[in-house]
Amino acid sequence: MSQRVFVTGVGIISAIGNGTGETFTSIKSLTSGIGKLSLFESIHGHIPVAEVKFTHTQLAEMAGRANDYIHYSRNSLLALIAAKEALASAHWNRDRDLMSGAVLATTVGGMDLNEQYYKSLLHDNSHKDVIMQLDSADCTEKVAFMAGIRHHVTTISTACSSSANSIMLGARLIRNNRLQRAVVGGTDALTRFTLNGFFALEILSITGCRPFDRERNGLTIGEAAAVMILESEEVADPDRIICEITGYANANEAFHATASSAEGTGAFLAMSGALETASLKPDDIAYINAHGTGTEINDLSEGRAIERIFGSAIPPLSSTKAFTGHTLGAAGAVEAVFSVLALQHQMLLPGLNFSIPMEELHFQPVTKPVPADLKHVMSNSFGFGGNNTSLIFSKV
Amino acid sequence: MKAFITSTGIISPQETHNGTGFPDAVREEVNNRLTCMEPDYKVLINPVQLRRMPRIMKMGLAAARLCINRSGGINPDGIIVGTGLGCLENLEKFLLEILENNEHITSVLPFINSTHNAVAAHIAMLLQNHGYNLTYCHRGLSFESALDDALMNLEEKNASNILLGGIDECTGDFMLLHSYLGYWKKPVSNLLLLENKTPGSIAGEGSAFFMLSSVPSDQQHAIVEGVHTFITPDPAEVNDIIPEIDLFLQKHNTDKKDISLLLAGINGDVNFDPVYNHLKQSYFASHTGLAWYKHLCGEYYTSSSFALWLASVILQTQMIPKVTELISPDRRNIEKILIYNHTRCCEHALILLSHGKI
Repeated sequence: MSQRVFVTGVGIISAIGNGTGETFTSIKSLTSGIGKLSLFESIHGHIPVAEVKFTHTQLAEMAGRANDYIHYSRNSLLALIAAKEALASAHWNRDRDLMSGAVLATTVGGMDLNEQYYKSLLHDNSHKDVIMQLDSADCTEKVAFMAGIRHHVTTISTACSSSANSIMLGARLIRNNRLQRAVVGGTDALTRFTLNGFFALEILSITGCRPFDRERNGLTIGEAAAVMILESEEVADPDRIICEITGYANANEAFHATASSAEGTGAFLAMSGALETASLKPDDIAYINAHGTGTEINDLSEGRAIERIFGSAIPPLSSTKAFTGHTLGAAGAVEAVFSVLALQHQMLLPGLNFSIPMEELHFQPVTKPVPADLKHVMSNSFGFGGNNTSLIFSKV
Repeated sequence: MKAFITSTGIISPQETHNGTGFPDAVREEVNNRLTCMEPDYKVLINPVQLRRMPRIMKMGLAAARLCINRSGGINPDGIIVGTGLGCLENLEKFLLEILENNEHITSVLPFINSTHNAVAAHIAMLLQNHGYNLTYCHRGLSFESALDDALMNLEEKNASNILLGGIDECTGDFMLLHSYLGYWKKPVSNLLLLENKTPGSIAGEGSAFFMLSSVPSDQQHAIVEGVHTFITPDPAEVNDIIPEIDLFLQKHNTDKKDISLLLAGINGDVNFDPVYNHLKQSYFASHTGLAWYKHLCGEYYTSSSFALWLASVILQTQMIPKVTELISPDRRNIEKILIYNHTRCCEHALILLSHGKI
């Protein structure tokens, strides 16, 4: 029999705060985390970014790793901090004899260490201690060991949909009775690598992203980690259940390496697939946390796919990327946590920086935090390579 | 859920891309790095697309194409790839441009091609495949994670065919950095790897694709019964590993006496190889054979994909290539093969295969 999958804990750290409390306060007060680059020197210093407002040393202390932080990537520290909150909120017992797994996601892993030490490493071995912290698996193993998990430990990397896929995988592992509980989520620190990559692609906003606005001019890159604890109905403590994962789907657009198709085929397939898994109709969805990067192409193609599915009855929707920036491998998990917050607080989450509706679309994003009766909410995450995933969270 | 391996396509340091069987001659290299013998890509990939395509993508696309062609042209319900390092060469290229050129980027292509999911995504584009698409990148468990997901997809009954791949490329920088950690031997003949009793191994790479199907084909006999992974914070001892194997075999209604062959990730590293030999001697039955493969493909994070291909060839032909055999199984039929591979005794993976027709 397939198990229902419950969310029993969440943790988040992003440009708008450390922890779900600070995060929700920032959203309600419409406070964006986008600002000036301070983490590192870059010739693109004039381009706004969304940084976590803590230094490496501070993050190490928050993660409880002050002693050996020098060998830790910012990426893994963010993951540990988000995981710590999620584990605590779920009252995770690491000694409970349950089938437990850890699935995290990232796009560039310990790239921040690469940028600091790579040239020196090509020269000599004086920084060899960082070598095993450079890759994508490092964050997951550190979180797994913290939670006392030894089985089903793996890392997903599907560009900007990475951590939506980690949540989906965790849910499937539980539904298919492979696991009873899972630590899932994603992390990505801000790096020169990604900043330069998106700059070279000419899709960075010079003003700060404006999702679903006619005058939108690109995305704003951010950094974050978000982690969720998933448990099967068999083992979840009813007092800890926050909501349920009822729908998910992964599809590939098979169109272009970095762009989405004008009609949003991949987005359409992901959203309709998630509705199908959840056995829901489009009008059951009360809020969509859209991918909404603020690039010309994404918002148009996602918007069209939404219109194709929801017709004239489009549910309230917004993109929260004007708060956190686009946090790449963490984005799926960050926005899944936002969707959970929407359900928990029965509130539509606003977007920011919106003023003029897009001509091609017939809807406008939510711009104020509005109380609402929310039963099912959808979260979209789309990535390079056409890797598209949609999740549905439901009130229990 | 079992899965039938209905076709394979593999590019490796051996002459494996031409046929489906084990090559007649084995390549010997006196080096500490084995690189792939690559096919004529023009036959397999549109030459226009080939230009400017990174090597790992060529290797991935070509092996996937070989596998699909041999399946009779199946367009799978999903594409799942494991890669420990992803498109490393392009990642290094873009990183160095930032570091050495003070962020004055000459081309954005290495950035686009540096993402771990670039190969799986390109295969989807090539096939116009809108199905499930995922990329795992967790060091020595990348391929096994992908395999587990493939089995789960077939179990969920949304899928009848999954294209599964394991790909990794070796680069000079990767060799250098990991030499600091004692990963490699001094240049040595790959065929004399076990005679050279020193720490470290030889680096390798490869691209192996499999069509996993919920129904058998007439020609193929290898069945994947299941996969199991675990990690240990410190190098594991035999006593840490045995309970995991017990648990895994039990789950698949298999007694350790049923294992005809242990296909082990022995790589010539005197620090980490003893676990395999201890297991064979102290745990498995005396009639269970022992074979190895890393002298043919080198050590790399997704080398288990080479092992899975080799296991499928052994089950199919009922012959263990002499060059891979360390201890002959004391039974006529090769019914079940257990692949056990660990990465420096910290990341462990088990794959159980059986023969469908015995």
